[in-house]
Amino acid sequence: MVSICFYFQVHQPFRLRKYSVFDIGNNSDYFDEHKNREIMHKIARKCYLPTNKLLLNLIKEFKGKFKVSFSISGVVLEQFERYAPEVLHSFRELAKTGCVEFLNETYYHSLSFLFDKEEFKEQILLHRKKIRELFGQEAKVFRNTELIYNNEMANFVQSLGYKTILAEGADHILGWRSPNYIYTPKTADRMKLMLKNYKLSDDIAFRFSNKGWKEYPLTVDKYAQWVSAANGNGHIVNLFMDYETFGEHQWEDTGIFDFIRHLPGEILKHPDNDFVTISEAAERYDSVSELDIHNFVSWADIERDLSAWLGNSLQNAATTELYRVGKLVKGVGDPKLIEDWRKLTTSDHFYYMCIKWFSDGDVHKYFNPYDSPYEGFIAFMNALNDIVIRTRGIKKKHQEAGVKNKGNGYAEEGTDSFSQSFLSEEPSESLLDIDMSFKK
Amino acid sequence: MEKEGENNLRVLMLGWELPPFFAGGVGMVCSLLSKALCQEGVELTYVMPFGPRMVRSDYMKILVADHLFPRMRFKLQEVETLLGAYATPESYDEEFRDYLLSLSPRDRAKALYGPNVFQEAYLFARKVRLIAQHEDFDVIHAHDHWTFPAAIAAKEATGKPMAVHVHITEFDKTGGVSVNQRVYDMEREGMHKADLVIVVSNFIKERLINNYGVPEGKIRVVHNAAEAMDKWVFHDASKIKEIDKIVLFIGRITLQKGPDYFVEAAKKVLEKDPNVKFIMAGTGDMLTRIIERVAQLGIADKFIFPGFITRDEVAKLNKIADVFVMPSVSEPFGLVPLEAMWQETPAIISKQSGVSEVLNHVLKVDFWDVNDIANKILALLHYRSLHHQLKHHGFTEVRNMTWEGPAKKCIQVYNELMNRGR
Repeated sequence: MVSICFYFQVHQPFRLRKYSVFDIGNNSDYFDEHKNREIMHKIARKCYLPTNKLLLNLIKEFKGKFKVSFSISGVVLEQFERYAPEVLHSFRELAKTGCVEFLNETYYHSLSFLFDKEEFKEQILLHRKKIRELFGQEAKVFRNTELIYNNEMANFVQSLGYKTILAEGADHILGWRSPNYIYTPKTADRMKLMLKNYKLSDDIAFRFSNKGWKEYPLTVDKYAQWVSAANGNGHIVNLFMDYETFGEHQWEDTGIFDFIRHLPGEILKHPDNDFVTISEAAERYDSVSELDIHNFVSWADIERDLSAWLGNSLQNAATTELYRVGKLVKGVGDPKLIEDWRKLTTSDHFYYMCIKWFSDGDVHKYFNPYDSPYEGFIAFMNALNDIVIRTRGIKKKHQEAGVKNKGNGYAEEGTDSFSQSFLSEEPSESLLDIDMSFKK
Repeated sequence: MEKEGENNLRVLMLGWELPPFFAGGVGMVCSLLSKALCQEGVELTYVMPFGPRMVRSDYMKILVADHLFPRMRFKLQEVETLLGAYATPESYDEEFRDYLLSLSPRDRAKALYGPNVFQEAYLFARKVRLIAQHEDFDVIHAHDHWTFPAAIAAKEATGKPMAVHVHITEFDKTGGVSVNQRVYDMEREGMHKADLVIVVSNFIKERLINNYGVPEGKIRVVHNAAEAMDKWVFHDASKIKEIDKIVLFIGRITLQKGPDYFVEAAKKVLEKDPNVKFIMAGTGDMLTRIIERVAQLGIADKFIFPGFITRDEVAKLNKIADVFVMPSVSEPFGLVPLEAMWQETPAIISKQSGVSEVLNHVLKVDFWDVNDIANKILALLHYRSLHHQLKHHGFTEVRNMTWEGPAKKCIQVYNELMNRGR
């Protein structure tokens, strides 16, 4: 018996506009409203709406035998609400079928676990609330941004009450083991760990339209055979991918929609196969062993590690300063400021600063709204500077009004990471001089 | 490694003054390309214009002294002419007048050179034709339009295929305004009579298609490369450096190079950060106007104008600078930022340049976007990790841009030329 587990990741960041140094202190509009709206409309049309409709039809056609799971980031949900409410509506229709499970992640799709566990927790709780409000589900499954995972994280997530967690079935962590079984995370023995079958997932997500691939064209019966081959070699086949695969990464004319339309029928022809949600898989099957994953693993790039976001000193400087500033921000307790800061924690901003892509011209480049990683860095740091100025401004106002500032021990002016010579009294003049405390 | 030749390609190259004679960008490129071609096994007969001011010492000895021009493969043919790589009809007239005045009244009747630049180009062509008839070569390779009549003459005299190499056009020199019709005609004739046209960037390729009617299929893009230089070792900490950051501009102070955009951007930078000095090294027809503008803006104390500088001084300035800016309005290629990057100084370059097609580790701007130029200068001066990354990655990038690449591409062009004949 083989249970197929489809899990789709839905996410779009709030992209920054070309925020310049002259905007600092004058204009706190960091995000490119126009571009974000335009992109949302495009993707809604090409992907979200048609694919949701397709899945809804399949669920009805197979009378509950076809099931899928989603994780939808908080920031993309906000963009649905703002720019494309019909997409939100179609996800809610899917929720109503009872055949769709919604997972939790960090609301802002951030790397916060690596820098500030308190923030990580807060973002998860925000997401939990949002999913409950919109879809009426209390999520039992957690996945971290870009499937970043290690033992320690599993342990932390377990303490928040989740029963199942996802990770990438990368070769270097599996070794001889198969992703088609459920495992127990070391240090989190009350949870179940499910790993992406990257070969079968990427066959659809990446290789589907590649004419140079030896298996091209991928037909439904060929793929169903591969999936069924797991029979006797595993319990589950975890097909985890970006939802934008359908219509955006793989355009309609590749035949991707027809493929998905006919796949469930083909797979269900084999009486031993069925479709499950993540939680159903976790309930049905036992873990076969413990899995010890000490170093972080992710589903990004060839390396499947953190290098897509933290591989170079630009990314390191940006993330270090971001979280340092975060403590300042939370100290003054202004909700709009915190929200703006949180939108900067989205992992995509750092993905765009990756220098690796110059040599490959690969996936990083396709979605990069900037001409180069350097431009992305400059816009980000300028925006962060403006956050600092706003923070100081609010703090000053509170001091004048005699309001107590929350928290203590946050970094004041004159901490050694801010060079004295570039600070001045009036907020509109000062510029951060970011010390590269991260040595290569 | 020098390649031993089975059938070595033999090239008649019509170029410009090689260093150590000051030759500007074109001479530099001719020199670096020639060396690299010889390294690849090509046998070069190099026709070089020799003006009255050039010292008639054993030039060949100078060139082969450091074994960079292997004697076996490089032959120099000097041709007496008043033409220079950067000659304009006006500058030639001045030079010719000076030359005449230097002769005694009796000798003036026997002047060696043509009375205007176009006549001189045709005189030059006649001399080159004679050389061509007595030399052995497979292809002709001519750099920039003053050699084009000579290239055509050599082709007609010998029947050998010919490629012209366009480094700049009259359009780009004048910004499209006041194009000299006769110069344009000479450029165009060369491009049309050539069998293939080599250009230094896609930027120039587009120019040739749109403004010179050259068919796209005839054009081959060979980007220039970077010159391997010694890294300047900086011993004495200059007084300026102690307090201020330095932003550098090197180039002719003329319309094409965008010096006015540099000044406007400087003003914006200083509004945010007064501790910056701006150095503009070079001379040109806009120099006075620029100095006046700087004074008008009230930032004269932040500017330094060293005037004309030597190659050594270029390296030194590049080394001490924190940021290099090339705001060119229209730059066929642009070697200057490569020199800055070689000295580990991050560069901001205009997108309206050929070099921006081949560089990744630089910051790119539209020349007119003064706000963006200032934004990027300030980012480089204040975000240390950005400065650090661009400094190191930029250096690695130019270090890998050797002249082997363009030399190999030229050889491909030569092979193509020879195969067409068959």
